[in-house]
Amino acid sequence: MGELAVTAECGPPKGADPDAILRKADLLSGKVDAINVTDNQTATVRMSSLAACSLLLSRGLDPVLQAVVRDRNRIALQSDILGASALGIRNILCLSGDHQSFGNQPHAMGVFDLDSIQLVQTIKTMRDQGTVLGGESLTKSPRLFIGAAANPFADPLELRVIRLAKKIRAGADFIQTQCVYNLKRFKEWMSLITDRGLPEKTNILAGVTPLKSSGMAHYMRNRVSGIDIPDEVIKRMEGVNKTRQRKEGIQICVETIQGLREMQGIKGFHIMAIEWEEAVGEIVERAGLLPRPSLNQDRGQFFYVV
Amino acid sequence: MTATLTGDEFTVALFYCQNTPGSGEHERRSLEKRFRASLRLYPLPCGGRLEPRHLLRALEEFADAAFVLTCPAGECRYFEGNLRTEKRVQHVRNIIESIGLKPERVGSVMNSKEDPKPLVVIAQGIMAEIARLGHSPVLHPRPPWTDTKEKGEMPCDYR
Amino acid sequence: MITAEQKPIEEIRRMIEPYTSVLLIGCGSCVAECAAGGEKETAILASALRMAAKMEGKTPVIHEKTVERQCVKDFILPLAESIDDYEVVLSLGCGAGVQAVAELFPQIPIVPALNTGFIGETRDQGYWVETCTGCGDCMLYWFGGVCPLTRCAKQLLNGPCGGSRDGKCEVNPEVPCAWQLIFERLSAFNALDRLEDIYPPKDWSQKQGLGPRKIIREDQQRQET
Repeated sequence: MGELAVTAECGPPKGADPDAILRKADLLSGKVDAINVTDNQTATVRMSSLAACSLLLSRGLDPVLQAVVRDRNRIALQSDILGASALGIRNILCLSGDHQSFGNQPHAMGVFDLDSIQLVQTIKTMRDQGTVLGGESLTKSPRLFIGAAANPFADPLELRVIRLAKKIRAGADFIQTQCVYNLKRFKEWMSLITDRGLPEKTNILAGVTPLKSSGMAHYMRNRVSGIDIPDEVIKRMEGVNKTRQRKEGIQICVETIQGLREMQGIKGFHIMAIEWEEAVGEIVERAGLLPRPSLNQDRGQFFYVV
Repeated sequence: MTATLTGDEFTVALFYCQNTPGSGEHERRSLEKRFRASLRLYPLPCGGRLEPRHLLRALEEFADAAFVLTCPAGECRYFEGNLRTEKRVQHVRNIIESIGLKPERVGSVMNSKEDPKPLVVIAQGIMAEIARLGHSPVLHPRPPWTDTKEKGEMPCDYR
Repeated sequence: MITAEQKPIEEIRRMIEPYTSVLLIGCGSCVAECAAGGEKETAILASALRMAAKMEGKTPVIHEKTVERQCVKDFILPLAESIDDYEVVLSLGCGAGVQAVAELFPQIPIVPALNTGFIGETRDQGYWVETCTGCGDCMLYWFGGVCPLTRCAKQLLNGPCGGSRDGKCEVNPEVPCAWQLIFERLSAFNALDRLEDIYPPKDWSQKQGLGPRKIIREDQQRQET
């Protein structure tokens, strides 16, 4: 308790090979407290998050099961929660999910039986009251650390603050934010949510993503929602030679973490280096976040740290 | 030069706005006398009153082509009648194209603002155009061994 | 109203191909409003079908009739007089209209000429948008008159998701984010507190029901004398 937590993210393969995810996990081992495993991200069929988390457990790592509400109804979701807990998964992140039209199954039905906030509430009820939706008792309650996502950079700002309050009231033990590049704007959001006393009711982990190239910076700024990359950052990436851009991206990421450390209410960082898991180790080291505390077998690393 | 008609005359249905210059009773009668069965004239209080089904009925029953003549841009007495006509005619062109007719068999002519022509001049122009299109395969179905669709083909020859 | 659009004419022709006499039945209600199956559209389609047949040297009998509302049994009963003169009915009604005719006249094959779409409004001439999914449990009070089930691509009841950009939906940038609209609407009435509570999971059984839904009203029924 009292330490800053560090989590990272990795995506399961578009195939049935368990080694693909294990290799990524090995790169992150010892560098972070817990590893998020994405759930059919971008609505593209990948190995299920639940299965991939189970593989990570077999390596002695602490996975965060990402669960989207796009693909499963409340029966399947509650069932997966029980299954996850039974397997030893201790963390779950509740998300809406990218719309089905974005991926390789655009003709699929989007389920959306529950939304992400209702899912948080459902898991909390299962854990703390030992019942499923509708009130029937469970024979054994799941044990899970419940998380939700927050986007400080989307509009309208006032509605985002209301939504964060709802997530926390619904039972979110931790919040992972969208990746930060604009510290000023992030501070504004922090100040608004601090006014409502929200940071102390949960554990906010600020998201960061290292830029690989100036092209990536432009793409993210123009094509991905909720990403705010200030001009200074774009200029920095453009200002260096192509071969040195990765280095610069990591440098900016480290500086962002250092800037975020100064802020009250931040309990840790969520490093999203998708398909660049090697970078996480370097970032964590240079930001002075190593060594990570040793694994607490009973409660799971992550739970323990925050 | 008069349009050369080879014995089987082409028939055009021409719907026109009554505000067109030279479209009074007298001029209309003289036009009808001149072209006889080849030109059937339908006056309208506004080109915008024309409905797609009027054009289609004409093509279905007797016309090789059906046209509508409206007032110049900005001069429609009912403000947007002539603009609506354009859209409707395009809609009809899409429909007839989908069944294999040349979309050129239906058209709208917006009279010139600077130099508005009388009905007779427009009518003559259209008649000359239609001679190039040839007979409509709706009224003159081809022998079964030829392709029934005419889009993209040369004007037909029934001999 | 219920919206629909005409199927491509090739598809319609394929379905009525085997028959030598066709009765087109239009509808004067919803599909007339969205210019897909009203009296005018029925006349247009009938004419186009007759022309297409003529061009192939065929001469099917193709007639048309339009009823006031094709989904009401009393309005389609009069068709009994002439329907048996035809081998097939081509209906320009919505799915409900097609099936009402099929139910009343099971002896004659029926072909749909339209693809039925959605419950919506005529927002402007020539422009129709979907606004209601018929969930059977209207929540519009809570959301300032903007339905999040229909107008949010992810049906979120505690929205928005992280994807909206400049107030537009991530799925279709031409579509406003429903939650942006809900926010603006409720803000204007100073009713933002309606969004503070967590809206509970939807009862979908009101929509899915136990098979096709129905409503029975005894005060509306015919009385036996």
